[in-house]
Amino acid sequence: MKVVNLLAAVAAEKCRGCKTCEKVCPVLAIKVVNRKAVVDAERCRGCAACEQRCPDYAITMVKREEPVVVKVDVSAVDYARVEDLCRRARLNPEQIICYCTATRAEEVAAAILQGARSPEEVSFLTGARTGCKVECIQPILRLLEAAGIKPEPPRDGWQWYGRTVTVWEIPEGVKHKYATRGFYFDEDIKLLDRVVAAPVQGRRDS
Amino acid sequence: MRPPITPIPPRKSQYGIDPSLVKTRVSELPGMTSVLLKELFPDLPEVIYPGEEGVAAVRKATEAALQKIDMSKIKPEHSVNILASHHGFTLLGGEPYAEMLKTLKDVIEARTGCKNIRLRAGVGLRFRETEEYIKRYGLDKHFGGKAIGVAPIDQGIPIETEIGTLYGIRKIYDADWIVHAHNSDVREVHFHRQVDRAVKPFGMSYARIETRSTYHQNLGPRAANFTARAIFDSPFVQGKFAFASFLTVAPNGIIGVDADNDLYALNDRVTQIGCRYYGKMMTLFGEIDECIAALDFPCPVVYVFSAGVIYANFAGANTDLYDLDLPLPAYTWYTEAFYGKAGKPLLKDIPPLNPAIKMCVHNYAWTGYPSAFFSEHIPTVVVGQEQADLFNRDPQNLTYMKHAVVAETTEAAMEFAYKTTGTRKVLIFDGAMGGINVSEPLAELLLKKAPAVSERVESELLPKWLRQRGVDR
Repeated sequence: MKVVNLLAAVAAEKCRGCKTCEKVCPVLAIKVVNRKAVVDAERCRGCAACEQRCPDYAITMVKREEPVVVKVDVSAVDYARVEDLCRRARLNPEQIICYCTATRAEEVAAAILQGARSPEEVSFLTGARTGCKVECIQPILRLLEAAGIKPEPPRDGWQWYGRTVTVWEIPEGVKHKYATRGFYFDEDIKLLDRVVAAPVQGRRDS
Repeated sequence: MRPPITPIPPRKSQYGIDPSLVKTRVSELPGMTSVLLKELFPDLPEVIYPGEEGVAAVRKATEAALQKIDMSKIKPEHSVNILASHHGFTLLGGEPYAEMLKTLKDVIEARTGCKNIRLRAGVGLRFRETEEYIKRYGLDKHFGGKAIGVAPIDQGIPIETEIGTLYGIRKIYDADWIVHAHNSDVREVHFHRQVDRAVKPFGMSYARIETRSTYHQNLGPRAANFTARAIFDSPFVQGKFAFASFLTVAPNGIIGVDADNDLYALNDRVTQIGCRYYGKMMTLFGEIDECIAALDFPCPVVYVFSAGVIYANFAGANTDLYDLDLPLPAYTWYTEAFYGKAGKPLLKDIPPLNPAIKMCVHNYAWTGYPSAFFSEHIPTVVVGQEQADLFNRDPQNLTYMKHAVVAETTEAAMEFAYKTTGTRKVLIFDGAMGGINVSEPLAELLLKKAPAVSERVESELLPKWLRQRGVDR
């Protein structure tokens, strides 16, 4: 869940149409039309990625007159399916996957079970990955993969490139090679397995 | 008791309130004093900065360290990217790190004849932070306009590693050679656990979001830093790596510059410094029974400094952050992730945030890092409505103020904290150089506890920490 209280605003006279904003927007809410960036106010989740990367300082974040609450109703989906999807992605349903919006795995799973097919759709529906824009791409990709979905990165975009390794997939040879250098792979697997299996604390909406 | 040390001044930045709004520093209030770190731990090394020579000492140390570096691979017609990170600019005012970067450029140019030397400065979660530093320290001018900040959402480049494909930032690697210009300050011990500290930027400030998310979500709290080693060891990066140059830092200041063509040799030395000197400070902070933590430094909440220890690490000082047998510190992102909807950890053995912190007075700290976990679990008073408003506009902190209260002035915030907590012990995170600003009762406690802490670290903890990291031989 996220309360979106900001909106990107473009100063057209400064915009040179370089498309950097298009390439970094996690919800595809900004596009260059006729060499000027145009914001889709309905889609914008106020993350400021465009404002922070615009090379011409043509974008500012303005306060929305009416904040928008972005949230997926977890209770609208059979919770057993939510739990199953999360645990197949090796996540506890109540585990926080977006530290900025405190979005839990169950909300992303519910979004996917209700039809989200890409990280962009997940972010648009839940607000996850619209805070720091950095840390939560992998669990989102893991949940999509566990649901049997293979999303394609936005064409020519820099939003994301691909899922990467998890600790369960580290080759035994690598573990052995670096065993004396302070990397506790097998111990962390045991820890994360316990987290994945831990019972949920409550079913109220996240 | 000594008078307080002048703290690092507020800094103009888009991530903090205007410096003119910081009317009072916590160290200016009655009852505050300072303790020199050498009084606590006489074995701390001598520093070259702060000192009489100023940053000239850093230039001299950099030039001396670079004498042993083999630069023969760099030819006049080549290009070189000097890779920097935001963190260095937060150390002792930032000038020492900036001076090392300038010296690196000058020496490489003089030794190799190469003129195409660029600065690429990575960031954490504040994507324009190093742009601000590049201007502040005149790095754009020194590098002839070839100095830029890079961010983890910039265009990426796939890097094939022994654990599969990871992703770097394309502009980090768009030169024939890279020079890794960093520092040995420990900062995020809760994340890296002093494992491959010197290598970490390859998995962080030089890396794309996919890699950073791997670190913080996919590998686990003690395996995470392997992402950095995997990238650094890749044929792609090894084919570009020229050498590394580090400001070596102890809690009391800059102790020198260390450079090496072998990053892992340098890494082992950094591990020794980090465990020995910072380990003592953190262990001492773990002895504090109760206190008010006062944040008063131009950095995000988690990164404000006191004696080289950041607030995030003090929040975990009830546990031994260096002991790798401990899976989860009281604060790290994995720990935060494992708090369920009832507000309690999903596993019973997850330690709570340091119960010695009775209240946090947030006098001055920046946005740009998700910090609501702290205000949710530690009673927090924020000084000034302008600062509260800034946090309410930060996409990473939309709920920080949901859990905090606002005081009009620093004095009012501290009075409130004194009355409601009942403690007069105050630890100030204001970046004081060479010592720490604290209240008198806390100064007494620290001076009393330090000798036994030093002895315990030397005889018991340090040997274990070094053994766990394979650097005890």
